[in-house]
Amino acid sequence: MFGFVKNKWIYFLVGALLAVMVLIPFDWFMGKYNTLLIFIGLNTMVTVGLCLLMGYTGQVSLGQAAYYGIGAYISAILSKTYGVNPWLAMLIAAIVTGAFAYGIGYLIFRLKGNYLAMATLGLGLIIWILFRQLSEITGGPDGMGGIPYLSIGGFGFYTTFKRYYLVWFFCLALLLISQNIVRSRTGRALRAIHGSEDAAESIGINVAQFKVKIFALSAVFASIAGSLFVHHLRFVSPQPFGFLASVKLVVMAVIGGLASIWGAIFGAATTNILSDELLLGFGELDTIVYGLILMLVMIFMPQGLFVKLKEIIVQWRSKTTQKV
Amino acid sequence: MSEYILQTKGLSKIFGGLVALDKIDMEIEKGRISAIIGPNGAGKTTLFNLIAGVYSATSGEILFQGMRVNSMPAHRRASIGVARTFQHALLFGNMTVLENVMTGQHPRSQYGFLEAAFRLPKSYREERKISLEAIKYLNLVGLGMDKDKEALSLPLGRQKLLAIARALATEPKLLLLDEPGAGLTTLEKRALSDLIRRIIDMGITVLLVEHDMPLVMGLAEKIIVLDSGQKIAEGDANQIQKDERVIAVYLGEEVEG
Repeated sequence: MFGFVKNKWIYFLVGALLAVMVLIPFDWFMGKYNTLLIFIGLNTMVTVGLCLLMGYTGQVSLGQAAYYGIGAYISAILSKTYGVNPWLAMLIAAIVTGAFAYGIGYLIFRLKGNYLAMATLGLGLIIWILFRQLSEITGGPDGMGGIPYLSIGGFGFYTTFKRYYLVWFFCLALLLISQNIVRSRTGRALRAIHGSEDAAESIGINVAQFKVKIFALSAVFASIAGSLFVHHLRFVSPQPFGFLASVKLVVMAVIGGLASIWGAIFGAATTNILSDELLLGFGELDTIVYGLILMLVMIFMPQGLFVKLKEIIVQWRSKTTQKV
Repeated sequence: MSEYILQTKGLSKIFGGLVALDKIDMEIEKGRISAIIGPNGAGKTTLFNLIAGVYSATSGEILFQGMRVNSMPAHRRASIGVARTFQHALLFGNMTVLENVMTGQHPRSQYGFLEAAFRLPKSYREERKISLEAIKYLNLVGLGMDKDKEALSLPLGRQKLLAIARALATEPKLLLLDEPGAGLTTLEKRALSDLIRRIIDMGITVLLVEHDMPLVMGLAEKIIVLDSGQKIAEGDANQIQKDERVIAVYLGEEVEG
């Protein structure tokens, strides 16, 4: 977003976008969509982690919802059952999820391609089953409620209006961090791994270690989103962290363009608007729609819908400027 | 300690039951151009991959600057000064020409996830150095003008030069070139020879695997001939060209007239 048109208009554009984002949750503007926008923000956080892992590093994860879930459950259990400060719980959740993913990554990143996809898929399913079965601490399939809201000092995030800002603050922070990583020595190393593992290794890049680290980072992103999720709904159940959720996250990443940081917002928004607004009456059939979208995007615009639109706009702009 | 930058002692590699390399003893002198030649299947690339750390040896030793590196992974070898290119350039297709070479600076820079994520001062300092170095190596191989192009948009000859620039960016002591001349025009080969001589002038030792006899004979000060996994001869161009075993197994068939 910041990179593709390098002139002063970009500051104007970014300023305008930020102003719109600040104004969105007011009732006279788009206030009734606050809940939807909060979920778009949460999904964007998970999706951008997935983009770093899949789009930039070229590693597949079909179990990303599990890390979203681990973050959610750790936050829920610590803050509700044990009365830990929610912020501290969130931090602990992020660290534990990251460490867990690091350990798992160490084991499964010996695998490649389809095998890696199967391993992440299987692991996601196991974790999901644990959420259901460890009912003593997780509340089982019925879930657990009464989770406290987040607050800073005396200021509590009691309304969706306030939580919209909270979620998008975190979301934009993670997007910026991701962009910084992509445009750095680390980002080049990750893209090098995607380009050719042999060549990357030959110029001193510790391929195995980078894969594990980026996997852990993507899990941390998912965990932060999960923590914000439970402090938003004040309720957690296994349902949003199953296999279909993982697939949906992949769809979001693909629509946004796997190798595009800001596309993650677009991907998350499109998918959320589809499932929460347009496909509400279709029930389980929405899975078919996601499958179709995934297929069509992969066949006709493998770089992603967002990136494709961006290219079309840039082309159109250069044509019009040539005419003038 | 020794004038040899690289030594192998009784180096063997067995794939399943196939002996790809059989007790190779070899010394590569510092600051010189050496070449490994041999017919297809002689074990040249296997030897290369053992030196670079892609495979681990079945038995025997590899000494780099007198240090045993047998079990060192490839990325560690790159950081202690062994760089290589591949038969196919293996460029990073998702990057520009400049970024490819910047990536080569990886082992000569340190900053990681944290400094990158929060753009700490260290990242700025190192990024500046990385891009300056990268441009230096691009200019050296003559690709300075192409720096913002997509790496794979270059013609093959220039892709191979880019791969060399990327390897040089790791600031190696020993540069392994795997068939650098393959697919190049005569003119490009001449430029390649000049480039390799300039690399030697930078104090870097060059070891190449090459099929192109005129290129090897014109460049290499020492030539090692492999056949069916065994070293059958070594010496300078004159000695090799007169060696009867070499003529019998190799030169006799491929370089007539």
